[in-house]
Amino acid sequence: MSNGKARVMEDAKGRRATYEEITVGQSLGEMDWAITDDLIDLQCQLDQDFDPLFFPSAGQPRIAPPQITYRPPRWLISRAYNVRGLFVGWEMESLGEIRVGMTLKVSGAIVDKYIRKEREYIVYEAVGRDEQGNVLFRTRRTHVLDFVERTAPRSGAGIDSGIKPEKI
Amino acid sequence: MAIMHKDIAVGYEFPTIAKKYRLEDFKRADEKTIHTDYEAAAREGLPAPVAIGPQIAALLFRQLRLCFGHGWIVGGKWNLTFRRPVFVTDFCVARGVVTKTETEGSNLRIHCDVWIENQDGKHVIAGTASGLVPLAS
Repeated sequence: MSNGKARVMEDAKGRRATYEEITVGQSLGEMDWAITDDLIDLQCQLDQDFDPLFFPSAGQPRIAPPQITYRPPRWLISRAYNVRGLFVGWEMESLGEIRVGMTLKVSGAIVDKYIRKEREYIVYEAVGRDEQGNVLFRTRRTHVLDFVERTAPRSGAGIDSGIKPEKI
Repeated sequence: MAIMHKDIAVGYEFPTIAKKYRLEDFKRADEKTIHTDYEAAAREGLPAPVAIGPQIAALLFRQLRLCFGHGWIVGGKWNLTFRRPVFVTDFCVARGVVTKTETEGSNLRIHCDVWIENQDGKHVIAGTASGLVPLAS
């Protein structure tokens, strides 16, 4: 299905990171992530899941669906590298409730990279902790750098960027 | 009320959840992305805009939340592979089956195979997931 002609070299937000530039073991740093009612509303809207678990009665704590954790690790990658590509692997452990009013600290690192079937993959891990340092989630992600095989030259200009806005 | 309970049988098949997607489902403001714009997708070698993977996987998450309730929110685990692109107008159905159970403290961890099929019956997302149910229930 790939065009086989070229991989994107740059987009409106700059040059795309190459496989060689991505360093296994590199920290992706840490970010604070505030959990708000609006954030949970939007996640539930995207997922079309309006279970009362996420919309509790007045006075009950409001919790978020675990998959709300998808984006912060992706934002950490965007801060370090301009990688568009496709998301291909998602491991996740949900260890504690993520509730409105919390501010999580999310940190991550590049843990692996490999080439398979002429495509370049990176693997990164992230952990989210509450204000007391309790781990609420752990995740491991795999991302293919390009849909086009690595045998194609990196010369094209992309429209979409790998540097994502830090919002849902 | 969660569907899963401590006496659930290996081989139990989840109720399915399905959706027919539209390009509009993946729009965010006026951004031109590989999820919303044919030219942006073509520049990346894609034949058409592709769906946002986590939004498709959400069919499984709804299913697992329905099955496990709070035992999915705290204790839920998944390991999913996005095996082939889902295009923005595809039809997808989430399926799952219980494969194994094991005691984990005061809970039972129920392991499942989960997958999403497209309109051609191809597995576009596949993997495993598990959640907890109290043994005392």
